[in-house]
Amino acid sequence: MSDNNQQSGGLEAQLAEAQAGVRSFVEQAVARGQKGLALANASPQPVGLTSKEVLYARGTLRLYHYAAQTDDVYRVPVLLVMATTNRAFIFDLAPGRSMIEYMVQQGFDMYVIDWEAPTMAERGLTLKDYTQDFIPTCIEKVQEDSGEEDISIVGYCMGGVLSLIYAATHIEGPLKNLVCLTTPVDFHQTGLPQVWNDPRYFDVDYLVDTVGILSAESVTQMFEMQRPAQRLAGQLRLWDQILDDDYVDNYRAFNRWGEETLPLAGEYVRETTKELNWGNKLYTGELMVDGHNANLASVTVPLLSVVAEHDHLAPRDSTKPLLDLVGSEDKAEILLKGGHVSLIAGPNAAKRMWPRLNEWLSVRSV
Amino acid sequence: MSDSEKGGKSEKSNQSQKRDRRPANNAVSAAFSELVTQWERNFDALANQFMGTETYSQAMNDMQKAQLGMQRNFADFMSRQLETMSMPTREDVVQLTELVRQLDRRMERIEEKLALNDRPARKTKRPARTRTPQSVSAAVSIDDPGAKEQNPVAQKAEGPTRGTDK
Repeated sequence: MSDNNQQSGGLEAQLAEAQAGVRSFVEQAVARGQKGLALANASPQPVGLTSKEVLYARGTLRLYHYAAQTDDVYRVPVLLVMATTNRAFIFDLAPGRSMIEYMVQQGFDMYVIDWEAPTMAERGLTLKDYTQDFIPTCIEKVQEDSGEEDISIVGYCMGGVLSLIYAATHIEGPLKNLVCLTTPVDFHQTGLPQVWNDPRYFDVDYLVDTVGILSAESVTQMFEMQRPAQRLAGQLRLWDQILDDDYVDNYRAFNRWGEETLPLAGEYVRETTKELNWGNKLYTGELMVDGHNANLASVTVPLLSVVAEHDHLAPRDSTKPLLDLVGSEDKAEILLKGGHVSLIAGPNAAKRMWPRLNEWLSVRSV
Repeated sequence: MSDSEKGGKSEKSNQSQKRDRRPANNAVSAAFSELVTQWERNFDALANQFMGTETYSQAMNDMQKAQLGMQRNFADFMSRQLETMSMPTREDVVQLTELVRQLDRRMERIEEKLALNDRPARKTKRPARTRTPQSVSAAVSIDDPGAKEQNPVAQKAEGPTRGTDK
Protein backbone atom coordinates (compact mmCIF):
# COMPACT_ATOMS: atom_id res chain seq x y z
CA MET A 1 0.00 0.00 0.00
CA SER A 2 2.74 2.44 1.07
CA ASP A 3 4.76 1.47 -2.04
CA ASN A 4 1.77 2.38 -4.21
CA ASN A 5 1.48 5.78 -2.46
CA GLN A 6 5.17 6.47 -2.95
CA GLN A 7 4.92 5.52 -6.63
CA SER A 8 1.89 7.75 -7.23
CA GLY A 9 3.61 10.62 -5.30
CA GLY A 10 6.72 10.24 -7.51
CA LEU A 11 4.60 10.26 -10.65
CA GLU A 12 2.78 13.41 -9.51
CA ALA A 13 6.08 15.17 -8.86
CA GLN A 14 7.37 14.18 -12.30
CA LEU A 15 4.13 15.35 -13.87
CA ALA A 16 4.31 18.68 -12.04
CA GLU A 17 7.93 19.13 -13.16
CA ALA A 18 7.02 18.36 -16.76
CA GLN A 19 4.08 20.80 -16.57
CA ALA A 20 6.36 23.52 -15.19
CA GLY A 21 8.86 22.82 -17.96
CA VAL A 22 6.20 23.06 -20.66
CA ARG A 23 4.78 26.23 -19.07
CA SER A 24 8.23 27.82 -18.96
CA PHE A 25 8.87 26.86 -22.59
CA VAL A 26 5.54 28.30 -23.72
CA GLU A 27 6.03 31.48 -21.67
CA GLN A 28 9.46 31.99 -23.17
CA ALA A 29 8.21 31.32 -26.68
CA VAL A 30 5.41 33.88 -26.20
CA ALA A 31 7.82 36.44 -24.71
CA ARG A 32 10.28 35.89 -27.58
CA GLY A 33 7.49 36.25 -30.10
CA GLN A 34 6.28 39.50 -28.51
CA LYS A 35 9.80 40.89 -28.37
CA GLY A 36 10.54 39.81 -31.94
CA LEU A 37 7.38 41.51 -33.14
CA ALA A 38 8.25 44.70 -31.25
CA LEU A 39 11.75 44.63 -32.77
CA ALA A 40 10.41 44.13 -36.29
CA ASN A 41 8.31 47.29 -35.94
CA ALA A 42 10.86 49.30 -33.97
CA SER A 43 12.39 52.50 -35.25
CA PRO A 44 16.16 52.41 -35.87
CA GLN A 45 18.34 52.14 -32.77
CA PRO A 46 19.47 55.66 -31.76
CA VAL A 47 23.23 56.02 -32.24
CA GLY A 48 25.84 58.79 -32.11
CA LEU A 49 24.36 60.49 -29.04
CA THR A 50 27.48 62.13 -27.60
CA SER A 51 27.05 65.90 -27.80
CA LYS A 52 28.63 67.31 -30.96
CA GLU A 53 28.36 70.02 -33.59
CA VAL A 54 29.09 70.04 -37.32
CA LEU A 55 32.17 72.16 -37.77
CA TYR A 56 32.43 71.79 -41.53
CA ALA A 57 30.52 70.01 -44.28
CA ARG A 58 31.20 69.69 -47.96
CA GLY A 59 29.71 67.03 -50.22
CA THR A 60 30.57 63.62 -48.77
CA LEU A 61 32.65 65.16 -45.98
CA ARG A 62 31.46 65.96 -42.44
CA LEU A 63 33.71 67.28 -39.70
CA TYR A 64 32.30 67.06 -36.18
CA HIS A 65 33.55 68.54 -32.94
CA TYR A 66 32.56 66.89 -29.66
CA ALA A 67 31.76 69.00 -26.61
CA ALA A 68 34.25 68.72 -23.75
CA GLN A 69 33.11 66.91 -20.61
CA THR A 70 36.08 67.79 -18.41
CA ASP A 71 37.28 71.04 -16.84
CA ASP A 72 40.52 70.92 -18.77
CA VAL A 73 41.61 69.09 -21.91
CA TYR A 74 44.90 67.87 -23.34
CA ARG A 75 46.63 70.53 -25.42
CA VAL A 76 46.72 68.53 -28.66
CA PRO A 77 43.33 67.93 -30.31
CA VAL A 78 42.56 64.53 -31.80
CA LEU A 79 41.11 64.08 -35.29
CA LEU A 80 39.55 60.69 -35.96
CA VAL A 81 39.45 59.74 -39.65
CA MET A 82 36.74 57.20 -40.42
CA ALA A 83 36.99 54.52 -43.10
CA THR A 84 35.35 55.56 -46.36
CA THR A 85 33.10 52.49 -46.38
CA ASN A 86 31.26 53.07 -43.11
CA ARG A 87 29.73 55.65 -40.80
CA ALA A 88 31.69 56.92 -37.81
CA PHE A 89 28.94 56.18 -35.29
CA ILE A 90 30.60 52.82 -34.68
CA PHE A 91 32.82 54.91 -32.37
CA ASP A 92 29.74 56.35 -30.65
CA LEU A 93 27.17 53.55 -30.49
CA ALA A 94 25.45 54.54 -27.24
CA PRO A 95 26.20 56.33 -23.98
CA GLY A 96 28.48 54.05 -22.00
CA ARG A 97 29.41 52.14 -25.14
CA SER A 98 31.17 54.88 -27.03
CA MET A 99 34.89 55.26 -27.67
CA ILE A 100 34.41 58.94 -28.43
CA GLU A 101 32.53 59.49 -25.17
CA TYR A 102 35.31 57.63 -23.35
CA MET A 103 38.04 59.76 -24.96
CA VAL A 104 36.13 62.98 -24.26
CA GLN A 105 35.72 61.92 -20.63
CA GLN A 106 39.45 61.23 -20.46
CA GLY A 107 40.05 64.86 -21.45
CA PHE A 108 40.73 64.70 -25.19
CA ASP A 109 39.41 67.42 -27.50
CA MET A 110 37.82 65.18 -30.14
CA TYR A 111 37.11 65.94 -33.79
CA VAL A 112 35.80 63.33 -36.23
CA ILE A 113 35.81 63.12 -40.02
CA ASP A 114 32.72 61.19 -41.08
CA TRP A 115 31.48 60.46 -44.59
CA GLU A 116 28.09 60.70 -46.23
CA ALA A 117 27.27 58.62 -49.30
CA PRO A 118 29.02 60.23 -52.29
CA THR A 119 26.65 61.37 -55.01
CA MET A 120 27.02 60.67 -58.72
CA ALA A 121 28.52 64.15 -59.02
CA GLU A 122 31.26 62.97 -56.64
CA ARG A 123 32.08 59.78 -58.52
CA GLY A 124 35.38 61.35 -59.61
CA LEU A 125 36.78 61.57 -56.07
CA THR A 126 40.26 60.06 -55.78
CA LEU A 127 42.96 59.55 -53.17
CA LYS A 128 44.10 63.07 -54.03
CA ASP A 129 40.77 64.52 -52.87
CA TYR A 130 40.77 62.58 -49.62
CA THR A 131 44.43 63.05 -48.67
CA GLN A 132 45.38 66.38 -50.24
CA ASP A 133 42.09 68.23 -49.82
CA PHE A 134 39.62 66.75 -47.30
CA ILE A 135 42.07 65.85 -44.51
CA PRO A 136 44.22 69.01 -44.85
CA THR A 137 41.08 71.20 -44.94
CA CYS A 138 39.73 69.50 -41.82
CA ILE A 139 43.08 69.96 -40.09
CA GLU A 140 42.94 73.68 -40.86
CA LYS A 141 39.42 73.81 -39.43
CA VAL A 142 40.53 71.99 -36.28
CA GLN A 143 43.51 74.32 -35.87
CA GLU A 144 41.26 77.31 -36.30
CA ASP A 145 38.65 75.98 -33.86
CA SER A 146 41.06 74.75 -31.20
CA GLY A 147 43.68 77.45 -31.56
CA GLU A 148 46.35 74.74 -31.55
CA GLU A 149 48.92 74.13 -34.27
CA ASP A 150 49.66 70.49 -33.40
CA ILE A 151 47.18 67.71 -34.05
CA SER A 152 46.95 63.96 -33.49
CA ILE A 153 45.23 61.75 -36.03
CA VAL A 154 43.54 58.42 -35.32
CA GLY A 155 42.64 56.57 -38.52
CA TYR A 156 40.49 53.47 -38.72
CA CYS A 157 40.94 50.86 -41.49
CA MET A 158 40.96 52.76 -44.83
CA GLY A 159 40.81 55.95 -42.74
CA GLY A 160 44.18 54.81 -41.41
CA VAL A 161 45.46 54.30 -44.96
CA LEU A 162 44.31 57.82 -45.92
CA SER A 163 45.93 59.21 -42.76
CA LEU A 164 49.20 57.44 -43.58
CA ILE A 165 49.18 58.85 -47.12
CA TYR A 166 48.44 62.30 -45.72
CA ALA A 167 51.29 61.95 -43.19
CA ALA A 168 53.74 60.72 -45.83
CA THR A 169 52.95 63.63 -48.14
CA HIS A 170 52.87 66.35 -45.46
CA ILE A 171 56.13 65.77 -43.67
CA GLU A 172 56.40 69.39 -42.55
CA GLY A 173 53.47 68.94 -40.19
CA PRO A 174 51.37 69.86 -38.30
CA LEU A 175 50.85 66.20 -37.40
CA LYS A 176 52.09 65.38 -33.91
CA ASN A 177 50.96 61.78 -33.40
CA LEU A 178 49.45 59.15 -35.63
CA VAL A 179 47.39 56.18 -34.50
CA CYS A 180 46.43 53.54 -37.05
CA LEU A 181 43.61 51.21 -36.04
CA THR A 182 43.44 47.95 -38.04
CA THR A 183 45.22 49.60 -40.97
CA PRO A 184 46.44 47.36 -43.79
CA VAL A 185 49.60 48.35 -45.65
CA ASP A 186 50.54 45.16 -47.50
CA PHE A 187 47.56 44.77 -49.81
CA HIS A 188 48.91 41.53 -51.25
CA GLN A 189 48.12 39.92 -47.89
CA THR A 190 44.43 40.81 -47.62
CA GLY A 191 43.17 37.27 -48.15
CA LEU A 192 40.01 36.65 -50.14
CA PRO A 193 39.67 40.14 -51.71
CA GLN A 194 43.14 39.63 -53.17
CA VAL A 195 41.88 36.50 -54.96
CA TRP A 196 38.63 38.14 -56.07
CA ASN A 197 40.43 41.25 -57.36
CA ASP A 198 42.80 39.21 -59.50
CA PRO A 199 43.65 41.56 -62.42
CA ARG A 200 43.28 38.65 -64.86
CA TYR A 201 39.57 38.36 -64.06
CA PHE A 202 38.47 41.60 -62.37
CA ASP A 203 37.91 44.39 -64.90
CA VAL A 204 37.79 47.42 -62.61
CA ASP A 205 37.67 49.86 -65.54
CA TYR A 206 34.55 48.19 -66.94
CA LEU A 207 32.93 48.22 -63.49
CA VAL A 208 33.67 51.88 -62.74
CA ASP A 209 32.87 53.09 -66.26
CA THR A 210 29.50 51.33 -66.02
CA VAL A 211 28.32 52.16 -62.51
CA GLY A 212 30.11 55.40 -61.65
CA ILE A 213 29.51 54.77 -57.96
CA LEU A 214 30.05 51.37 -56.34
CA SER A 215 26.74 50.76 -54.55
CA ALA A 216 26.47 50.22 -50.81
CA GLU A 217 25.00 46.76 -51.55
CA SER A 218 28.15 45.78 -53.48
CA VAL A 219 30.38 46.98 -50.64
CA THR A 220 28.28 45.13 -48.05
CA GLN A 221 28.31 42.02 -50.20
CA MET A 222 32.09 42.11 -50.41
CA PHE A 223 32.32 42.28 -46.62
CA GLU A 224 29.70 39.61 -46.00
CA MET A 225 31.09 37.17 -48.53
CA GLN A 226 34.16 36.85 -46.38
CA ARG A 227 32.04 35.57 -43.48
CA PRO A 228 28.98 34.12 -45.24
CA ALA A 229 27.53 32.48 -42.11
CA GLN A 230 27.87 35.53 -39.91
CA ARG A 231 24.49 37.14 -40.61
CA LEU A 232 22.47 33.99 -39.94
CA ALA A 233 24.57 33.10 -36.91
CA GLY A 234 23.98 36.62 -35.56
CA GLN A 235 20.24 36.23 -36.00
CA LEU A 236 20.27 32.87 -34.23
CA ARG A 237 22.18 34.39 -31.32
CA LEU A 238 19.70 37.25 -31.24
CA TRP A 239 16.82 34.78 -31.02
CA ASP A 240 18.57 33.03 -28.15
CA GLN A 241 19.31 36.28 -26.28
CA ILE A 242 16.23 38.22 -27.31
CA LEU A 243 15.01 38.69 -23.72
CA ASP A 244 18.28 40.35 -22.73
CA ASP A 245 17.70 44.07 -23.41
CA ASP A 246 21.39 44.99 -23.31
CA TYR A 247 22.21 42.31 -25.86
CA VAL A 248 19.37 43.38 -28.13
CA ASP A 249 20.30 47.09 -27.96
CA ASN A 250 23.91 46.29 -28.80
CA TYR A 251 22.89 43.97 -31.62
CA ARG A 252 20.58 46.58 -33.13
CA ALA A 253 23.25 49.29 -32.97
CA PHE A 254 25.85 47.07 -34.66
CA ASN A 255 23.26 45.89 -37.15
CA ARG A 256 22.31 49.45 -38.03
CA TRP A 257 25.98 50.24 -38.61
CA GLY A 258 26.32 47.25 -40.93
CA GLU A 259 23.19 48.22 -42.83
CA GLU A 260 24.36 51.80 -43.30
CA THR A 261 27.46 50.84 -45.24
CA LEU A 262 28.40 53.58 -47.68
CA PRO A 263 28.76 53.46 -51.46
CA LEU A 264 32.16 54.36 -52.87
CA ALA A 265 33.18 56.88 -55.51
CA GLY A 266 34.09 54.97 -58.67
CA GLU A 267 37.42 56.68 -59.34
CA TYR A 268 38.47 56.04 -55.76
CA VAL A 269 37.68 52.34 -56.29
CA ARG A 270 39.62 52.32 -59.56
CA GLU A 271 42.64 54.01 -58.01
CA THR A 272 42.77 51.95 -54.82
CA THR A 273 42.32 48.74 -56.83
CA LYS A 274 45.11 49.57 -59.26
CA GLU A 275 47.56 51.35 -56.98
CA LEU A 276 47.01 49.54 -53.68
CA ASN A 277 45.48 46.11 -54.40
CA TRP A 278 47.32 45.36 -57.62
CA GLY A 279 50.42 47.55 -57.45
CA ASN A 280 50.79 47.31 -53.64
CA LYS A 281 52.45 50.71 -53.91
CA LEU A 282 51.85 51.83 -50.33
CA TYR A 283 53.93 48.84 -49.27
CA THR A 284 56.63 49.29 -51.92
CA GLY A 285 56.89 53.06 -51.36
CA GLU A 286 56.04 53.87 -54.99
CA LEU A 287 52.60 55.38 -54.43
CA MET A 288 52.25 58.80 -56.04
CA VAL A 289 49.35 61.06 -55.05
CA ASP A 290 48.99 64.42 -56.78
CA GLY A 291 52.67 64.37 -57.70
CA HIS A 292 53.79 63.58 -54.14
CA ASN A 293 55.49 60.32 -53.24
CA ALA A 294 53.59 58.70 -50.35
CA ASN A 295 56.57 56.78 -49.04
CA LEU A 296 55.88 55.57 -45.52
CA ALA A 297 59.55 56.00 -44.64
CA SER A 298 58.80 59.75 -44.67
CA VAL A 299 56.44 59.34 -41.70
CA THR A 300 58.51 60.28 -38.67
CA VAL A 301 55.90 61.30 -36.09
CA PRO A 302 55.21 59.04 -33.09
CA LEU A 303 53.08 56.19 -34.39
CA LEU A 304 50.89 53.59 -32.74
CA SER A 305 49.44 50.68 -34.68
CA VAL A 306 46.59 48.82 -33.02
CA VAL A 307 45.70 45.53 -34.66
CA ALA A 308 43.35 42.63 -33.97
CA GLU A 309 44.37 39.02 -33.74
CA HIS A 310 41.33 37.69 -35.61
CA ASP A 311 40.79 40.49 -38.12
CA HIS A 312 39.60 39.00 -41.42
CA LEU A 313 39.25 42.35 -43.23
CA ALA A 314 42.71 43.63 -42.37
CA PRO A 315 44.48 40.33 -41.66
CA ARG A 316 47.55 40.27 -39.44
CA ASP A 317 49.92 39.81 -42.39
CA SER A 318 48.58 42.94 -44.07
CA THR A 319 49.03 45.15 -40.97
CA LYS A 320 52.26 43.67 -39.64
CA PRO A 321 54.79 45.53 -41.88
CA LEU A 322 53.62 49.03 -40.87
CA LEU A 323 56.13 49.53 -38.08
CA ASP A 324 59.02 48.45 -40.29
CA LEU A 325 57.95 50.75 -43.11
CA VAL A 326 57.57 54.03 -41.22
CA GLY A 327 60.55 56.21 -40.37
CA SER A 328 59.30 57.03 -36.85
CA GLU A 329 61.62 56.39 -33.94
CA ASP A 330 58.80 56.45 -31.39
CA LYS A 331 56.58 53.64 -32.65
CA ALA A 332 54.66 50.79 -31.12
CA GLU A 333 52.21 48.08 -32.04
CA ILE A 334 49.48 46.72 -29.82
CA LEU A 335 48.08 43.35 -30.83
CA LEU A 336 44.76 42.64 -29.13
CA LYS A 337 42.25 39.82 -29.15
CA GLY A 338 39.20 40.45 -31.29
CA GLY A 339 38.20 41.18 -34.86
CA HIS A 340 38.03 44.17 -37.18
CA VAL A 341 35.06 45.75 -35.40
CA SER A 342 35.21 44.27 -31.90
CA LEU A 343 38.66 45.86 -31.60
CA ILE A 344 37.14 49.33 -31.58
CA ALA A 345 33.55 48.89 -30.35
CA GLY A 346 31.77 46.68 -27.85
CA PRO A 347 32.60 45.50 -24.34
CA ASN A 348 35.98 44.00 -25.19
CA ALA A 349 37.12 47.20 -26.89
CA ALA A 350 36.12 49.16 -23.80
CA LYS A 351 38.18 46.84 -21.61
CA ARG A 352 41.14 46.25 -23.90
CA MET A 353 41.67 48.91 -26.53
CA TRP A 354 40.32 52.24 -25.28
CA PRO A 355 42.47 52.37 -22.09
CA ARG A 356 45.60 51.49 -24.12
CA LEU A 357 44.84 54.23 -26.64
CA ASN A 358 44.29 56.72 -23.80
CA GLU A 359 47.52 55.63 -22.13
CA TRP A 360 49.61 56.03 -25.32
CA LEU A 361 48.02 59.25 -26.56
CA SER A 362 47.73 61.15 -23.24
CA VAL A 363 51.47 61.36 -22.60
CA ARG A 364 51.98 62.58 -26.17
CA SER A 365 49.21 65.17 -26.10
CA VAL A 366 50.62 67.73 -23.68
CA MET B 1 10.05 56.37 -27.11
CA SER B 2 10.25 53.63 -29.70
CA ASP B 3 8.01 50.57 -29.71
CA SER B 4 10.90 48.33 -28.83
CA GLU B 5 11.78 50.47 -25.83
CA LYS B 6 8.20 50.41 -24.61
CA GLY B 7 8.05 46.67 -25.13
CA GLY B 8 11.41 46.23 -23.45
CA LYS B 9 10.29 48.02 -20.29
CA SER B 10 6.96 46.25 -19.96
CA GLU B 11 8.76 42.93 -20.21
CA LYS B 12 11.42 43.68 -17.64
CA SER B 13 9.43 42.32 -14.70
CA ASN B 14 8.65 39.15 -16.66
CA GLN B 15 12.32 38.78 -17.51
CA SER B 16 13.48 39.09 -13.93
CA GLN B 17 11.01 36.36 -12.98
CA LYS B 18 12.31 34.19 -15.77
CA ARG B 19 15.93 34.87 -14.86
CA ASP B 20 15.22 33.37 -11.42
CA ARG B 21 14.79 29.98 -13.00
CA ARG B 22 17.45 30.47 -15.64
CA PRO B 23 20.09 27.90 -14.53
CA ALA B 24 18.61 25.13 -16.67
CA ASN B 25 17.89 27.60 -19.47
CA ASN B 26 21.41 29.03 -19.20
CA ALA B 27 22.90 25.60 -19.80
CA VAL B 28 20.67 25.14 -22.86
CA SER B 29 21.49 28.65 -24.04
CA ALA B 30 25.24 28.10 -23.63
CA ALA B 31 25.02 24.82 -25.53
CA PHE B 32 23.01 26.50 -28.28
CA SER B 33 25.47 29.38 -28.49
CA GLU B 34 28.39 26.96 -28.72
CA LEU B 35 26.58 25.02 -31.43
CA VAL B 36 25.95 28.20 -33.46
CA THR B 37 29.59 29.28 -33.05
CA GLN B 38 30.87 25.90 -34.21
CA TRP B 39 28.50 25.84 -37.17
CA GLU B 40 29.50 29.40 -38.14
CA ARG B 41 33.20 28.60 -37.91
CA ASN B 42 32.91 25.40 -39.94
CA PHE B 43 30.63 26.91 -42.58
CA ASP B 44 32.84 29.98 -43.02
CA ALA B 45 35.98 27.85 -43.25
CA LEU B 46 34.40 25.62 -45.87
CA ALA B 47 32.96 28.54 -47.85
CA ASN B 48 36.24 30.46 -47.71
CA GLN B 49 38.09 27.42 -48.97
CA PHE B 50 35.77 27.25 -51.96
CA MET B 51 35.61 31.02 -52.56
CA GLY B 52 39.36 31.41 -52.29
CA THR B 53 39.99 29.45 -55.49
CA GLU B 54 40.95 30.91 -58.83
CA THR B 55 38.00 29.15 -60.46
CA TYR B 56 35.55 30.88 -58.12
CA SER B 57 37.18 34.26 -58.70
CA GLN B 58 36.96 33.82 -62.47
CA ALA B 59 33.33 32.68 -62.36
CA MET B 60 32.31 35.50 -60.00
CA ASN B 61 33.98 38.15 -62.14
CA ASP B 62 32.56 36.71 -65.38
CA MET B 63 29.08 36.81 -63.89
CA GLN B 64 29.57 40.37 -62.67
CA LYS B 65 30.78 41.43 -66.10
CA ALA B 66 27.72 39.89 -67.75
CA GLN B 67 25.43 41.77 -65.34
CA LEU B 68 27.31 45.01 -65.98
CA GLY B 69 27.01 44.43 -69.71
CA MET B 70 23.23 44.15 -69.43
CA GLN B 71 23.12 47.22 -67.20
CA ARG B 72 25.20 49.17 -69.73
CA ASN B 73 23.01 48.13 -72.67
CA PHE B 74 19.87 49.11 -70.79
CA ALA B 75 21.36 52.49 -69.83
CA ASP B 76 22.34 53.14 -73.48
CA PHE B 77 18.84 52.19 -74.62
CA MET B 78 17.20 54.48 -72.03
CA SER B 79 19.55 57.30 -72.89
CA ARG B 80 18.64 57.06 -76.59
CA GLN B 81 14.92 56.98 -75.77
CA LEU B 82 15.18 60.03 -73.52
CA GLU B 83 17.14 61.89 -76.17
CA THR B 84 14.44 61.09 -78.72
CA MET B 85 11.83 62.53 -76.35
CA SER B 86 14.01 65.60 -75.65
CA MET B 87 14.25 64.63 -72.00
CA PRO B 88 17.38 65.03 -69.85
CA THR B 89 19.36 61.85 -69.30
CA ARG B 90 20.88 60.80 -65.97
CA GLU B 91 24.21 62.06 -67.25
CA ASP B 92 22.69 65.51 -67.87
CA VAL B 93 21.24 65.63 -64.36
CA VAL B 94 24.60 64.64 -62.88
CA GLN B 95 26.36 67.38 -64.84
CA LEU B 96 23.79 69.89 -63.66
CA THR B 97 24.26 68.74 -60.04
CA GLU B 98 28.02 69.17 -60.39
CA LEU B 99 27.51 72.73 -61.65
CA VAL B 100 25.26 73.52 -58.70
CA ARG B 101 27.83 72.03 -56.33
CA GLN B 102 30.60 74.14 -57.82
CA LEU B 103 28.48 77.25 -57.32
CA ASP B 104 27.71 76.09 -53.79
CA ARG B 105 31.42 75.70 -53.02
CA ARG B 106 32.15 79.14 -54.45
CA MET B 107 29.39 80.63 -52.28
CA GLU B 108 30.78 78.78 -49.28
CA ARG B 109 34.23 80.25 -49.81
CA ILE B 110 32.78 83.77 -50.13
CA GLU B 111 30.71 83.27 -46.99
CA GLU B 112 33.79 82.04 -45.11
CA LYS B 113 35.74 85.13 -46.13
CA LEU B 114 32.90 87.37 -45.04
CA ALA B 115 32.57 85.49 -41.76
CA LEU B 116 36.27 86.02 -41.06
CA ASN B 117 35.70 89.77 -41.11
CA ASP B 118 32.70 89.61 -38.84
CA ARG B 119 33.33 86.70 -36.49
CA PRO B 120 31.25 86.76 -33.29
CA ALA B 121 32.85 85.86 -30.00
CA ARG B 122 32.52 82.22 -28.92
CA LYS B 123 29.32 81.60 -27.04
CA THR B 124 30.61 78.86 -24.81
CA LYS B 125 33.78 78.99 -22.82
CA ARG B 126 36.22 76.28 -23.87
CA PRO B 127 38.12 74.32 -21.22
CA ALA B 128 41.78 75.15 -20.65
CA ARG B 129 44.22 73.02 -22.64
CA THR B 130 46.33 72.31 -19.59
CA ARG B 131 45.54 68.69 -18.87
CA THR B 132 48.44 66.31 -18.26
CA PRO B 133 48.45 62.58 -17.46
CA GLN B 134 50.14 63.48 -14.14
CA SER B 135 47.34 65.87 -13.18
CA VAL B 136 44.77 63.19 -13.96
CA SER B 137 46.48 60.50 -11.85
CA ALA B 138 47.05 63.00 -9.01
CA ALA B 139 43.39 63.99 -9.00
CA VAL B 140 42.37 60.34 -9.01
CA SER B 141 44.66 59.42 -6.14
CA ILE B 142 43.38 62.29 -3.97
CA ASP B 143 39.68 61.88 -4.68
CA ASP B 144 39.37 58.13 -4.86
CA PRO B 145 42.36 55.83 -4.53
CA GLY B 146 40.57 52.97 -6.24
CA ALA B 147 39.23 54.97 -9.15
CA LYS B 148 42.40 54.77 -11.25
CA GLU B 149 41.83 51.11 -11.90
CA GLN B 150 38.25 51.65 -12.87
CA ASN B 151 36.87 52.26 -16.29
CA PRO B 152 33.20 53.19 -15.82
CA VAL B 153 32.51 53.05 -19.54
CA ALA B 154 34.08 49.61 -19.75
CA GLN B 155 32.04 48.42 -16.82
CA LYS B 156 28.83 49.70 -18.32
CA ALA B 157 29.48 48.20 -21.72
CA GLU B 158 27.95 44.79 -21.85
CA GLY B 159 26.45 42.76 -24.63
CA PRO B 160 27.40 40.75 -27.66
CA THR B 161 30.83 40.74 -29.21
CA ARG B 162 30.77 37.60 -31.28
CA GLY B 163 29.06 38.01 -34.56
CA THR B 164 29.46 41.78 -34.60
CA ASP B 165 32.43 41.89 -36.94
CA LYS B 166 31.70 42.53 -40.57
